Amino acid sequence: MLYRRAGLRHTRYEDERQLWPLPFDRGLVVLVLVVLVAAPLLVNRLYLVSYLLPWVIWSTAALGLNLLMGGAGQIHLGYGAVMAMGAYGSVHLVRAGVPFEFAMVGGGLISACVGIVFGGAALRVQGLYLAMATLAMQYVVDFVISHVPMISGGTQATIQVPTVRFLGIPVAGDLPTYYVALIICAIVTVFILNVGRTSLGRALAAVREKDYAAEIIGVNTFKFKLLAFWISSFIGGVAGSVLAVCYLRAISPDQFHIELSIQLVAMVIVGGLGSVLGSFFGAALILFAPIVLNNLIGGIADGLGLSISTDLRSHVPLMLYGALIIGFLLWEPLGLAKIYNNVRNYFFVWPFRHAQR
Amino acid sequence: MKLNRRRFLAATAATLTMPATIDFASAEEKVIRFAMPQDFTRVYTFVTAEYSQGQRDYITLVNERGGINGYRIIADVSDHGNDLPRAIEAYEKAKREGAVLIDPLSTPVARALVPRALEDKINMVTAFSGRSDAADGTAFPYVLPLSPNYWTQAGLLVDYFRQQDKDLKGKKIVFVHIDTPFGREPLPILQVLSQKLGFEFQAFPYTPPGNDQSAIWPQVRRARPDWVMFWGAGVGQTVAMSEAVRNGLPMDRVCSSVWLSESDMDVIGREQVKGVLKVEPCVSGKDPKPVQAIINEVVSKGKGAGPENKVGTSYYNYGVMMGAIMIEGVKKAFERNPGGPITGLWLNEGLRSITNFTAEGMIPPMTVTKEDHQGGGGGRIARWDGTKFVPATDWFAANQDVVWAEIRKSSEEFRKSGK
Repeated sequence: MLYRRAGLRHTRYEDERQLWPLPFDRGLVVLVLVVLVAAPLLVNRLYLVSYLLPWVIWSTAALGLNLLMGGAGQIHLGYGAVMAMGAYGSVHLVRAGVPFEFAMVGGGLISACVGIVFGGAALRVQGLYLAMATLAMQYVVDFVISHVPMISGGTQATIQVPTVRFLGIPVAGDLPTYYVALIICAIVTVFILNVGRTSLGRALAAVREKDYAAEIIGVNTFKFKLLAFWISSFIGGVAGSVLAVCYLRAISPDQFHIELSIQLVAMVIVGGLGSVLGSFFGAALILFAPIVLNNLIGGIADGLGLSISTDLRSHVPLMLYGALIIGFLLWEPLGLAKIYNNVRNYFFVWPFRHAQR
Repeated sequence: MKLNRRRFLAATAATLTMPATIDFASAEEKVIRFAMPQDFTRVYTFVTAEYSQGQRDYITLVNERGGINGYRIIADVSDHGNDLPRAIEAYEKAKREGAVLIDPLSTPVARALVPRALEDKINMVTAFSGRSDAADGTAFPYVLPLSPNYWTQAGLLVDYFRQQDKDLKGKKIVFVHIDTPFGREPLPILQVLSQKLGFEFQAFPYTPPGNDQSAIWPQVRRARPDWVMFWGAGVGQTVAMSEAVRNGLPMDRVCSSVWLSESDMDVIGREQVKGVLKVEPCVSGKDPKPVQAIINEVVSKGKGAGPENKVGTSYYNYGVMMGAIMIEGVKKAFERNPGGPITGLWLNEGLRSITNFTAEGMIPPMTVTKEDHQGGGGGRIARWDGTKFVPATDWFAANQDVVWAEIRKSSEEFRKSGK
């Protein structure tokens, strides 16, 4: 019905190499893009500034982390610190008079340079040990930021982000901030999608599956492990810079603590390791489930005139949220992207479910 | 019914899309909306619960008495869990619903919301939290601490030491603090005061969140301090006190900021910490008139917002105090512009013209002006006697010259930034 196919058969290599080989998928991507671009006209301002904008930014960050965790199989528990370096780096550059376009890249480079140093641990250790090494990075960066007043900004430890210009347009108000975040997110998405079909992506996949096996088949694991950290940290830094300029507008050290790192890891895992779409789904679930559940419980309590205590009212959403995460990990360990895939596979040859794929 | 994957997914999808399909909004005439997204679950927990209970009970009291000029006050309480996306969502939602005041009771959230509040002209109350330099109303017209900030609290304590010891020359004051921007905040004030008054000053930072401070306190003991100030929040406070007791420091020379309550004392043992001092911004206990009125007109009728045994505790009374100040702002706003319209600017004018307000004797006389958002910086020192906090001094304000020099320095930096 939707895909109008009896199986997936290509007659030319070019067809198979496309990002989205099926017309239906291409149509869907265009539709989503149109909806996102036209969102300011379609949705209420509240949903634009407090749902779509953070979603786009967190998805960008999750994509960067997913390249490292899902793509190259290297765990990272300090991604919040990576974003912090990007945010602080670019904001200080902007305050020093560097145009935002360059400051953003500069923030990314700062993150990449520091990220690769801690990523170096990945050359020697794996799994839980690498988790500890990156966790150490989180705390070292936190400590440095909050203990150097030059970086954190004096006794109040808060830096206001100046109004910057992106390609000549002042990034202030609802629309420019949203569109800047959307553009960066689109660029990162297209990049990550393409990584999968290049030699880089295949090398990272080889490293992910087994690093010494990759070495044996001629993949330079030294290079690709560091490269994975470099790219992922660069994206993290850029995402941090977008987060600071477009969303937070005043940055302080506590915004980039371990909670942010854990949140991002959760997004990647719940969304689906190695999946681009999963990063978007994961970001949406982790960011908005607490808000939506909170509003829901609050709304039910108000609507029905129940007098439940504030303690209960604020903890029930958290319990539901926890149950939700456990539920997803239990029933769909491969993440939200897999759920989408299941649905897609079902409709792929529907109604001829026994047709060959 | 067995819970399988499909049912789980269906239930989740239904739950998450429900708020979008049901419109809970209720249209009501003649209301003034206060938004109170606060942290009930992450960091401040019981502090928020008690503070919010007092605040809501006071607002219920006002509404029960017929509101202000026929307007009902709606206090929209929700949980932001100290998480910025959630807090910003709550803020934007409040803005859409027409809230004229927001009280996030969280330092990180308040700091992050400053640019938005200033731009949207929504009054953000940052009692005992947020930026200390927001006391400078000329730089932060819509950010209102309306309470003695941490610099003032440190100034009050040092002045109390001076009153007790007559002269602080050669004395040693030790400052044990959580190693975060919040904990380091009083350092500049203490340094200036040590120069000015000639006392020796030593700072001992402990790592956040402060559930292990056993390495610090023996050093504090060895320093042989005349006075010990400990500065933290949540678990750090109780750990600090129990370590002070364990190291045999004289408890009547140990003191802290406004963040000390009966609940903290229960954790350590009420008798153990007899003598501990704290800064009190308002009268504690059930005696103040507003609290009496709440007990008679709200709690006894079963309309209280929380457990009855919390009524009259320190943080509950902070909530009552802040509720009373906000309502006084509304009254003043009606005096100035009886016709409204009810906007952030309208309430701002009211809040910034509060004069000599004492909340029926509950707080030191408070005057908020367009320059001074702190309200004078008055407070008193109270001593824990094993069952309750007993005032050790009368209301006083101290060292405001030093505090304001720091406020101006910091607000000047703020003015220069963000451009």
